[in-house]
Amino acid sequence: MSDALLDVRDLVVRYGDVMAVDRVSFALAPGETLALNGPSGCGKSSTALAVLQLRRPDAGEVLFEGRELTTLNERELRPLRPRMQPVFQDPYGSLSPRHRIRDAVAEPLKVQGRWTAADGPARVAELLDRVGLDPSYGDRLPGELSGGQCQRAGIARALASEPRLLVLDEPVSSLDPSVRAGVLNLLADLQNDLGLGYLFICHDRAVVRHFADRTIELRDGRVISG
Amino acid sequence: MVGAAGLTRLVCLVAVLATVGLLPWLSQRDPALTVLRARSAEQEPTEEALSAIREDLGLDAGPLSLLGKWASDLLRGDFGTSWVSGTDVLPSVVAGLQVSLALMGAALGVAVVLAAVLVAPVLVRGRGSAGAFAAMLAAIPEFLLATVVLLVCGVWLGWLPTAGWAGPEYLVLPALALGVPAGGLLGRLVADALPAVLDERWVELWRGAGVRRTTISAAALKRVLPPLVPQFGMVAVGLTGGAVAVEMVFAVPGIGRTALGAAKSQDLPLLQGAVLALLLLGLVAGAAAAFTRRRLLGPALRDAGLTLPPARPVRTHPAIPLTLLTLLAVTIGWGLLRDPYTLHTGARLAAPTWTHPLGTDALGRDVLARLGHGAASTVGTAAAICVLSLLVALALGFLPGIAAGAADIANALPPVIVGILVAAAAGPGTGGAALAVALISWPALAAHAAALVQEVRASAFLTAQRAMGATPFWILTRHVLPSVAAPVARHALLRLPGIALALASLGFLGLGAQPPAPEWGLLLDESRAYVERAPWAALAPAIALALLAGLAVSGAAAVQGRRVRRSAPAAKKPSVKRPSAKKRKESSVAV
Repeated sequence: MSDALLDVRDLVVRYGDVMAVDRVSFALAPGETLALNGPSGCGKSSTALAVLQLRRPDAGEVLFEGRELTTLNERELRPLRPRMQPVFQDPYGSLSPRHRIRDAVAEPLKVQGRWTAADGPARVAELLDRVGLDPSYGDRLPGELSGGQCQRAGIARALASEPRLLVLDEPVSSLDPSVRAGVLNLLADLQNDLGLGYLFICHDRAVVRHFADRTIELRDGRVISG
Repeated sequence: MVGAAGLTRLVCLVAVLATVGLLPWLSQRDPALTVLRARSAEQEPTEEALSAIREDLGLDAGPLSLLGKWASDLLRGDFGTSWVSGTDVLPSVVAGLQVSLALMGAALGVAVVLAAVLVAPVLVRGRGSAGAFAAMLAAIPEFLLATVVLLVCGVWLGWLPTAGWAGPEYLVLPALALGVPAGGLLGRLVADALPAVLDERWVELWRGAGVRRTTISAAALKRVLPPLVPQFGMVAVGLTGGAVAVEMVFAVPGIGRTALGAAKSQDLPLLQGAVLALLLLGLVAGAAAAFTRRRLLGPALRDAGLTLPPARPVRTHPAIPLTLLTLLAVTIGWGLLRDPYTLHTGARLAAPTWTHPLGTDALGRDVLARLGHGAASTVGTAAAICVLSLLVALALGFLPGIAAGAADIANALPPVIVGILVAAAAGPGTGGAALAVALISWPALAAHAAALVQEVRASAFLTAQRAMGATPFWILTRHVLPSVAAPVARHALLRLPGIALALASLGFLGLGAQPPAPEWGLLLDESRAYVERAPWAALAPAIALALLAGLAVSGAAAVQGRRVRRSAPAAKKPSVKRPSAKKRKESSVAV
């Protein structure tokens, strides 16, 4: 699958003697949603972190847009990082409690040198609008938003990096059912409009069935079906 | 990380011991001169005489061989010979130790009784807290309490002897002065922890099952005590520091006074022996605490299962610290406008009048002016120490192992003993006292900083920073430092009064600022001699120090209370875990 957005081969993550991820392989096409499903402790989140190279895998290959990431050092990796962005489970923990929403969404632009005083604020407002937040929310701190609003802000921050792949680590698990549907619909819209690939990590089978194109099941770090 | 902390602990301990051993070499002033003066007052300090003494003391051989000789002599039980008296050090140390142990034992008795009195109402009512009152008692520095107790019970009421060591009645006042702050601290620790324990499910269950209240109370106490035992060990360590001041005030011939006298007369072998004995006392107390805890907890220790629920902080109305602060600021401001050095020889020890609102001291100097100028230098020095500690803490906060290990050792060293060591090495002075206080005030801040750094590093938003391609420098300067610096700076600010009190206690002992400088501790010490004729000269600095202690406690409590109220509705915000506050007296500004 040379046209795959993400191609993971025999990924291994160890914590001491514990095999958190044991030779996991999968591929993901652009615009596709692949769900990683399994009970807690089965290695879903470790896989996510290893794919993002936020925790370097102990063995295996991660090909992203045809490039092997595991052999790159941190400096070589940095320019590629914006192309794949995480969205975390805890909506509050994923935003700095000290920074306003606007600053959190603007940060990728500044980090990646794409911020200008002229266009930056408009881009941030556009991103907030894109995830269904009124731009006036930009003045607020994460603690002043609901969980769903925070999660939308986290998605806006991820979009600011102009990614091709989103790694969604239990993005709706800590949200109320009513809010959950709204966030899932937003993610589906974004995928349609932007052609994003989703690696969707979730333990809730009902959500997975509704949302994912394909599912692989993990148990104790191994793929058992998919 | 545990390994790093353990290693740091060991390195710190060795460093302290080496400092003690190297005192003769570290001492900037030539010890040969001291010895010559002490041995024969008539002899001229000629170069031959001095070098003969240097050779005699082994000072020529260099620091390493000096340290080696000291250590090997020590292992053979040879503590050396006093430079001043020419007698063996060991008998003086043993004699002082016996007196001090008796005093500390009596003080511990006072402390336990007082703690029981403070805790009893909480146990009986099943709720409430003796925290505020106990914290106030715990914040009074021993030297201040000793002076006040001596004045009131000894001089004015004449109930008990005030100086010496000739019978059990001589024990009462020193034991009170030493035991009351320790008892306040003990009582506060237990009283603060009890309400949360009494809220636990098992208490409800036992009550429902008709278990008697006394049985429940006993079980609650048994539940509360083991996790607090390490802090009880800290209280015992604090006693060794407090003993120095109390023994000096009441002229008790204990190990603390021996150490202080030796430091002042540059009798370094005696000082080494006395400080070693004090350190040993502290270490034994700490080891005994650890042992008791292990015996009490047994297997529960291994499972780390027995921790206390977080204590509800004592709340204080913000008006209390603000009033204290205003009162102090007005007094200091008024005093600063006046001249602290001019001698009004016609008005010595004058009572308060409009010309001298707080009277004059023994040399006819204006007490209010000296109070104001003393505060400026004490608070200024304390502020400099705070800033320095903050910078060190922020720099070392990224090395949690080092921070934790150093904090442990610093907790086990009373500032007075560090002050004695620094004074012996560098001579008494404001700089030395500041150095001593700084040496033991940074580790607590560093431990706090380290805890915050770990918390921030573990947070998901920091992972998001890395994922967007932020450099480590960006993450450090934009996220980690700002999250850590503000709370640690607040912590440092809250420690300011405690640091000022520690400076004052060193000044009181003659280890800090030297006359004629106006320094609060020194002021109190100078006025003690004339207290029957001019009580106001002693009362003014005593009251000012008490206000400062009150500010230390109420300021911390007010900030804490506010934080609790603010974070209560927003429980979803990440809560900032604070390391257990340093529980020693001289800096009991718990955050």
